[in-house]
Amino acid sequence: MRIFNRLFRRAPMIDCDTVMRQLWDYLDGELTPERSEAIRRHVEMCSRCRPHSEFERAFLVAVKRSRREHSQPERLRGVLVEALAEQGFAPQ
Amino acid sequence: MSDPAKREKDRAFGAEALRWFPELTRFALSLTRNEADADDLVQETFLRAYASWDSFTPGTECRGWLFVICRNTFRRTLLRESRQVEADDAELEALAAAALHASALQAGYGTLFSEFDLSDAIGRALEALPENFREAVTLVDLNDQSYEDAARILDVPVGTVRSRLFRARRLMQEALIDHARDAGLVSTAPRPNPKGGKEMTS
Repeated sequence: MRIFNRLFRRAPMIDCDTVMRQLWDYLDGELTPERSEAIRRHVEMCSRCRPHSEFERAFLVAVKRSRREHSQPERLRGVLVEALAEQGFAPQ
Repeated sequence: MSDPAKREKDRAFGAEALRWFPELTRFALSLTRNEADADDLVQETFLRAYASWDSFTPGTECRGWLFVICRNTFRRTLLRESRQVEADDAELEALAAAALHASALQAGYGTLFSEFDLSDAIGRALEALPENFREAVTLVDLNDQSYEDAARILDVPVGTVRSRLFRARRLMQEALIDHARDAGLVSTAPRPNPKGGKEMTS
């Protein structure tokens, strides 16, 4: 099988248990390209892992979407530069 | 400090530290969840960074250095109640996440996160986490840090970041499913067929 995979440049097939153990690492982009590709291929074809992956991915997107941005960043930057100037900072 | 040296310090600080103002502001806001406190934290962080600029090694990652100062300042100056709980093994947490997904699916919440705007509930779930779990989510999920960068900022092994992060995500998901149940959110997506399809599983 390994020879087959090597010949056809395919990532080795992995099982659901391995995918579940590494799903967060996969979704966070923390795996090697080869490992990531192997998981992507499995998830794409697996009726159990695909919904799980979609569920977790949607969660991460929702968390990121909840990220708050400062309402007045320029005002804060002005206050900050003034405070730094009092400590001797002179923008160059 | 001589004038040329002072000018060089200010130039370098402006170019290398202040350029991270937007990221630092976002990080401070995600730590404090409160704009007024974030303003104080941002100022305090940059003032400390300026005062200790000589200890910054040129060419190293300035954003991470600022995040460390910000995080330490937050912990020190705001005297937050620091509830410290340690997480289990990251592998076990990953498997627990799969179990949680299975129960969410059975309860009809398989598409909860893509179907509803849960921003406020996510904020509350994040706030309820123990401090060390919240830091992991704040760095990785809200501020796009890799596990390795987060580990450097928190001064813990990468494995600790993983286990805290995975546990934190599971706790947040449990809280969000509870919220959905309490709020009577009803998914329009079909429930899973218990017999499953014909596709591959292994």
